[in-house]
This record gives sequence, structure tokens and C-alpha cells, in this order.
Amino acid sequence: MSAVSEVDERSPMFVFTDEQDALRATVRRFLAERSPETEVRRLMETETGYDPAVWNLMAGQIGLQGLALPEKFGGSGFGFVDLQIVLEEMGRALLCAPFLSSVVLAANAVLRSGDEAACAQYLPGIAAGSTVAALAVTEAAGSWRAADLTMGATAADGGYVLSGEKLFVPDGHVADLLFVVARTAVGPSLFAVDPATAGVLREPLATLDATRKQSRLVFDGARARLIGEEGGAAQPLSDTLDLAAAGLAAEQAGGARRVLEMAVEYAKVREQFGRPIGSFQAIKHKCADMLLAVESATSAAYAVGWAVDEGSDEVGVLASLAKAFCSEAYTHCTAENIQIHGGIGFTWEHPAHLYFKRAKSTEILFGNPRHHRALLADRLGI
Amino acid sequence: MSSNPDRSGLSASELALQLREFLAEHHPGRTPRSTSPLAAAERLVFQKAWQATLAEHGWAAPGWPRRWGGMGLPLRLQAVHHRELAVARTPVAPSRIGGIVGPALLGYGTAPQLERFMGPLIRADELWCQGFSEPDAGSDLASLRTRAVPDGSDYRLTGRKVWTSGAHFADWMLCLARTGPAGSGAAGITALVVDMHAPGVTARPLRDMTGGAHFAEVELDDVVVPATDRIGAENTGWAVARATLGHERSTSLASSGMRYRRVTGDLLELARRRGRTVDAYDRDALARAVTGARLLEWSGQRVLARVLEGGEPGPLASVIRLQHALFEQGLHELATDLLGAQGALAPADEHLTAGGKHDGAWLRGFLRTRASTIGAGTAEIQRNTIADRVLGLAEVWR
Repeated sequence: MSAVSEVDERSPMFVFTDEQDALRATVRRFLAERSPETEVRRLMETETGYDPAVWNLMAGQIGLQGLALPEKFGGSGFGFVDLQIVLEEMGRALLCAPFLSSVVLAANAVLRSGDEAACAQYLPGIAAGSTVAALAVTEAAGSWRAADLTMGATAADGGYVLSGEKLFVPDGHVADLLFVVARTAVGPSLFAVDPATAGVLREPLATLDATRKQSRLVFDGARARLIGEEGGAAQPLSDTLDLAAAGLAAEQAGGARRVLEMAVEYAKVREQFGRPIGSFQAIKHKCADMLLAVESATSAAYAVGWAVDEGSDEVGVLASLAKAFCSEAYTHCTAENIQIHGGIGFTWEHPAHLYFKRAKSTEILFGNPRHHRALLADRLGI
Repeated sequence: MSSNPDRSGLSASELALQLREFLAEHHPGRTPRSTSPLAAAERLVFQKAWQATLAEHGWAAPGWPRRWGGMGLPLRLQAVHHRELAVARTPVAPSRIGGIVGPALLGYGTAPQLERFMGPLIRADELWCQGFSEPDAGSDLASLRTRAVPDGSDYRLTGRKVWTSGAHFADWMLCLARTGPAGSGAAGITALVVDMHAPGVTARPLRDMTGGAHFAEVELDDVVVPATDRIGAENTGWAVARATLGHERSTSLASSGMRYRRVTGDLLELARRRGRTVDAYDRDALARAVTGARLLEWSGQRVLARVLEGGEPGPLASVIRLQHALFEQGLHELATDLLGAQGALAPADEHLTAGGKHDGAWLRGFLRTRASTIGAGTAEIQRNTIADRVLGLAEVWR
């Protein structure tokens, strides 16, 4: 009776180990030092949007890029929950770096392709931080589903050439290595492209959230290497996006908790009508509802993380659930934070808008909440 | 009473297996459901019988000491116990067996009081109610006005209680009364055990908007209460009332997850039956409902995990009550919407009978859950509590 053994096992769910607590503390300390608000503001004004020196410290000092990648491909072999802890802290600090694009999106696209040779060639560089990779999926329509992609790849000289446009590609303009989903006669396929090769044009887009850059990539007969099976990219892409959604949910939960703290700190000191605004019921209730959203977002994010680590077949269901919920929770909290700060919260000088913009843009990234609830309904067989 | 088998040393799977064997043999089936007063009495008889069966076989009150008829299980096994009962859909205990009365007695009762009350409480031979709320004092207990005046070796009790769940069926009331001077606030309150059959006690059922009578109002007219029936010292009733054993309560959260999954399963079934799984709006709403249920399940598990690790239930515990209330309401609102035109019928209308579940149950739930954000402290009070105690906003202004 499997249900009996289920109750007998001390489920690790929802308890962090001492090692995980230590990892969180290390990452938080590092980011407090290396990614304070002043740095976030400096980097968001640059075109590349990150500091290579900090990126190298992340890899060299604490090994963050390789943390959750398999040891045989140069990583440390930690679990997905460990990666989520890192992402949650990065969300708190609004770190400007191509971590989500390189470590979560690109690395998992290669891993999930099942192409061992490609993994052995590309992953060690990503794990070491010496390669920044990006995954180009979306086109003008903004869809992340393989079925909606139109960009074409054609066989030529024993390889392939790509032609067409990709839009909204996270960090595509700064990546050392591009992974591109394009369609051959057989179907959607994954390709590796050296951005320095002829026929690749890259330009940054002006984005709502300047702390995470997006780009437009144009391919005009650019040479590409097929990764995995030709026509076999749909399922690996879908799996990769589930992981990316789960990772992003943790980032969102971290950001949401940070703005709640910010709002509560302010409500305690800001006085109006002779008393701190935190003594007014209207403000208290906003803060209580924010805590409800934050705690729920945390639960949702890590529920999918643990499902990934356990190899549960519910990962897809939970990833959609978490992405939809955490997106709305984060946006809600960042909007309430601005409201609680009043006029000051609307100024450029205050960090409230940075979180608000990050929240809104992550809400859209990988598909909005309505899209993910539709996916959830599909996956549940509703 | 101490003939209870000691199961505290079992492994989780051993306990689960034994409990399943017991349930396979003794499960009494579904509790009769109806809002009519006659059926309410029948329902109570059914629940009392089930509770007696549990107690007789040593399966009642998992967290309470064996010495007083409980099972004395460690927290982890209490969670297994709650979960197994939830999975098996056993009837719930009548009239707050696991509510505040037991913990208050266990925490503050004298040996003779425990000897007298615990056995019948656990077996549900005697039913209890909690006389806290008053017409002019809901959550604001500090302003309660029912007076208990010392008179020799007795107190004489006069006042009115309201919203008292099950008072019209109860044998005893854990009553809060003012013993200090008017204006003494929370510091002047004493906890007394009141015999509901004593002269001067009148309990009148209070018909609520569902048409049923879950609550009663209680008139206390110069009721004589022996001082030996005082729980704790005079003027310490506030602490007695708040003896809610947060740890023990958090173990029962383990069963909530099962319940929520089941209820959302029923909701999806309703949607399918009514052909309401095609439209994008309906599917979005159903996905939201599933999300809400999962979130409650996970929040419960997080609190439980923390408690099992030896920690405090933490901030999340106070958040869950609010989360639960909002979820329940939203779920039944959606169910009413899914019923379409039939949502306008009374819950008892027989046109609502459909499938395995009477659709009137959703409509009764739609009405009943209006109380979810009111009872045991309104949602506003709960938000204040979260803001004050968890987020520390109480410090800023007194």
C-alpha cells in the first residue's frame, strides 16, 4: 500500500535544511554587498545591464551558475529548490544579471534536449560563468509555445541556416551563445548559434523593466547547429519553460516579500494626523493582505520546486499554478507598496517603482497569469 | 479511562494501518444532512454515537493525555490521525469536542474538575458550548458585561450570551463573566463552568440566514455556579479562554488539505455536470479555485512541518484562518455561479438533486460561508491581528 509508506516517510517538503539556510544567508550577504540599490540603478542605465565582475564573483566565489547543474557537466549537482533559494534572493535584491536567461532557460533547454554531446560542449561554460547563454523562442506574437513559432531553419552543407526574427529575448544581445527554437520541415527544433557568426543582428529593446534586458535578434542565413532531434524541440521546450516558470515564481516570491517589508517599515515611521500610518486600519489591512499573498506565493513556488526534485509528474500542473499565482501576488504587493508610500512611492528616486516594473514584466514573461491558468486547466483535465 | 491502548510508540504507518482497520469495521457512513430542527437532533445523536465509538476503542482526542481518556500521541502521529479521519470522511465531532474547552480544562482545571469532565467530554456523553460572545461584545471580550458576583461558596451569574454554537443542545458552558469592576477590561474576567440545565439558564435557538439554527442566545438569570466550577483563578479568564494549544491545532491542519482537495474535486464535478468547463472564463475560475485549495494545503503543511521540527507555528498560522475564510466564500460563490438559473432556488428545492451530491449543499454553503468572515473574529479583526502581532504594527501606536 503506497499510501501507507507515504505517511511513514518524513517528507522533506516545506522544511529547509541547514545547508539551504546557509546558502540563503550567503547569497543574501553577497547580494547586499554587490547588488545594492545604487548598483541596480547604475546597471539598469547601461545597455548590457550587468556587471561582468560581479558575474564572475558569483561563479568563482559561490558557484551560483553551476549550483544546480549536473556534476558531469561541470556543475555542483544541487537540487532545484537550492536554485530557487538563489533566485528568491536575487528577486529580493533585483539583481541585474543574465542568470535566469543563461542558467535557467538556456542551460535547461540544452539539458532537456537529451543531446549529451551538446551538454558536454556547452554546459561547463555556462556552469563556470564563462559563457553567458540565451534562449530565443518568442517572435512578434510573443508566444512561448513551439506550435506558434514561425521562424524557419533549412538544411545546408551538412548543417542548418536560420532566417527570421526573434523578439523579447531575455539578454539575447549580451549572450556569448544563442540557443534558438526554429522550425524545419519536420517541426520545431533547437539550434545553437554563435552570435559572432555572419547573418546575426542583435539589438536591445527599450523595456519596462530596465533591470532585466530584452533584445531583438534577426537571423539572415546564419549558420546553426542542431541540438537534439530535428523536430523534437516542442516537449523539451515545454519542460524548460515549466522549470523557468518555477524559478521565476521563486524570484517573484522574493521580490514580494521585500516590498512587504519595505511597506511595513515605512508604515511604522511615517506619521500623518499625528500618528504613524501603520496605526490606521486601512493600512494594517493592506499589509495583512500582502502577507497573505507573500506566504501563499512562497508556498506555491517551493511546492513546484520540491515536485521537481522528487521527479513528480505534477511539475507541469504546479508550475502553471505557481507562475499564475506568484505573478499576481507580486504585482499586487508592489502596487500596494507604492500606495502605502503615497507620493514618495511615485517618485523615480524611490525603489518602489523598480519592483513594480519588475513584477509587471515578470507577470508577462513566459505567458501571463490567464495563459497559465488556461494551461493549468488543460493539465488538470478540466 | 486509562484502559486506552498506548499507541504513542507506533510508527506512522502502523498507526495509519490500525486506524484504517478500525475504520473499515466501524465507519458509520455519512452524517444525516438537513436544516430542519428534527434532523439536527438526529444528526447530533449520530455524531455522539460516533464519538463514543472512537473513545471506546481508544481513538478519540489524539493529543490529549491518556490519563484523561485521550491518546497522548506525539504531534507527528496526531497529524496522521487527523489525516486518516479526513481521508475516510468520518463524521465530525459534535459541539466542539476539540475546541477551547478541552485545552482550557487541561491547562487550568483542578484534578477533581478533570476527573469529572474529561471522560464525558471525550466520549461526547455531555456536550459543551462556549459562552464568550455577548450582544455588545463580539471579539471585544474586554467589554463583556455578564456579571459573576461571589456569594459564599458560589457565584451568582447574570447576563446574556449570543452566537453560542450548540447552546440549545449543550449540557455545560465554558462561560466568561466579569468579576472585576466595570471597566476592568480583560483583567476582570473569570472562566466558569455553567450547568446548562440549572435554574435561570435559558437557551433559545437563533435561526440564521441558512434557515438552520446552529447558534443560540443564552439568558443567564441569577444562575448559581459553585466556586469549585471556576476554571483557573478569579480574574484570569482571559488567559483561560486563550489556551488554544496552537501546536495541537496545527496538527489538524494536515487534514484540511485533504478536505479542500475533496471539495474542489466536487466543484469540478459540478462544473462538468453543468457543462461549464468549456468557456474560457469558467475554466479560469475553476483554475483559481484549484489554486486556492492547493495553497491552503501547502500553507497547512508548512505550519505542520515547522511544528514537527520543534518550532512555533509561526506567522503563517494566523494567516491561514483568513486564507481559509476567503477561500471558502469564493468557492461557494463560484459553485452558485456554476448552478446557473438554479442558483436562484432555495437549497431544499428538489430540482437541485443531481448526481451523487445534492446541489442544494452548494447553496447552503453559499449562505453558510457568509459566516466564515464573521465568526471567531471577523476578517477585519484577523487582519488587525496579523498586522499587529505578525508584522509588528501594534508597537507603533497604543
